[in-house]
Amino acid sequence: MIPALIHRRIWLWKNRLLPSAFLFFMLPVFIFSMISLPLKNIIRFSLAGTPYDIWVFPGMIFIISSLSMFPIIYREFFELRIHGKVLINTALTPHSKRSIIFSYLVVAGLEAFVMIIFSTIVYASFIPITFNVPSIIFLIFCLAIYNLVLGNLYISLSLIIDTLTTMLLGTFMLFLLVLFGNGFLIEFSFFPLGLESFLEWSPLAIPFQIYQKFHSTGLIDYVSIAIIIGLIYLWILLNSQILKQKLRQ
Amino acid sequence: MEASITLKKVGKIIGDKTILAGLSFGIERGSLVAIVGLNDSGKSVLLKLLSGYENPNYGQVFIQGLDMEKRRSDTRQLLGYVSYENDLDPWLTLEQNIRFNANLYSVGSETYKERINKYSSALNLKPYLDQYAFRVSGGIQKKAMLIRALIHDPDILILDEPTGYMDAESIRLTWDLLKDLKGDKSIIYVSNSLNEIEQAHDRILVFHEGRIIMDGHLDKLLESTLDYHQFQIEFDDLNDDLYKSLKNIATIVSPNRMDNTFHFYGRTRTVFFDVIKVASDKIMIDLDVRKLGLRDLLDSEFAGRGLE
Repeated sequence: MIPALIHRRIWLWKNRLLPSAFLFFMLPVFIFSMISLPLKNIIRFSLAGTPYDIWVFPGMIFIISSLSMFPIIYREFFELRIHGKVLINTALTPHSKRSIIFSYLVVAGLEAFVMIIFSTIVYASFIPITFNVPSIIFLIFCLAIYNLVLGNLYISLSLIIDTLTTMLLGTFMLFLLVLFGNGFLIEFSFFPLGLESFLEWSPLAIPFQIYQKFHSTGLIDYVSIAIIIGLIYLWILLNSQILKQKLRQ
Repeated sequence: MEASITLKKVGKIIGDKTILAGLSFGIERGSLVAIVGLNDSGKSVLLKLLSGYENPNYGQVFIQGLDMEKRRSDTRQLLGYVSYENDLDPWLTLEQNIRFNANLYSVGSETYKERINKYSSALNLKPYLDQYAFRVSGGIQKKAMLIRALIHDPDILILDEPTGYMDAESIRLTWDLLKDLKGDKSIIYVSNSLNEIEQAHDRILVFHEGRIIMDGHLDKLLESTLDYHQFQIEFDDLNDDLYKSLKNIATIVSPNRMDNTFHFYGRTRTVFFDVIKVASDKIMIDLDVRKLGLRDLLDSEFAGRGLE
């Protein structure tokens, strides 16, 4: 099923090449100018003493990945679903609901990954990024896990909500959490103690913390990785059930 | 003959309303079956159950002997479904929409080309294949949906209003294709176009409040009404007094009027002379007498009572 969905994404890109390419280029530039540049003047160094623009780079990559995945999942599971298009027909093919959910997650993750490669090239011209191969490989691994968690959350939201206004409000709240509540831009220690502990244990924040731990100490947190992969599996099952319910199948 | 689809005591309840109530029937391989009935009688829900679009609340559906619930993946390979609403991706071309389905069913490239070529020629869709779905008319989209449903060569085609939104030529081409496919594939369809059903002239299931109340070929269904004829007389001036006196003729059934036209049913042609007696001094402009058809059978005024 994954190759069929990849073909479809390529056709959609090709059919709307100019607006898609414009957004593709503008997204990393816009995020850098609107978030990283002003915050750099407020938070000059991280709590560990790293210059902010170097410290924030992995977080920016996670944010771009988060924003790149959203349109794909929103379109497939909310917009086309509420207009009775494509999704029902896809669900009538011999693929299971679980396979449909997983395939869309993988394809959205792949598209986000392409966006990240492009963004990294753009950022390399703004900030002095030092590339360390093991760190980059582990960053990609953590990003893949993060994309699967966030993609599942997007899918749940897109399937549960049936009206556009509720979807917009829900998305706005989710973006606030993605931007400020995952430790991408602001370290958890800046939050009040109770909120800090809550955010640290959020499934969305764990992959980034796993990466930061590896980056600063060289240690891999296998327990957290196992927990988060288990959660992803259960969430895929849950989303397949929601999809089944929504399509009354 | 071998069964293509078998339903065993299938029921569907939506909210607190029973849409289908313990349906049991079979459809032979290669047959063309029309499902007709009043609006909201459960026809489309039945098609959704047959296509796997929705699940029944109780009972079993067998597709070529396979339980649809237990052998979901196998049975879906055997089915092609065209919904009433257009459900193509608006930002893909018609060809891309069809190809996406071919990819989902792992249809090989050569086979795909051969099939799309065959069906798009038959339906005269070739000039539109490169157009975005949202830019073409509903009828063209419907033809693309039909090809999309055929692209994996299913044994059973389930169609909700197969000629919906189509112009006269498209309707003819679609029926030519469906009649060609009949025999090779079982085709089950819902349509409100009773003329088309009469012309297709195969098995007809009449649906009423979630039950099948009549099942058979057109001639068999019309057996009970064969004595009846339908009359239509256009007067120069059909005033209230005239209408009232015509309405009171004991031998006529279900009289009604539209402007200056008086419409009624009668068991024998002699009823016409009873009308003439009453209206002999009035000017008649036009007259039409014909045997009853499917429309009359389903008409709530006339046949609704008969069906009950």
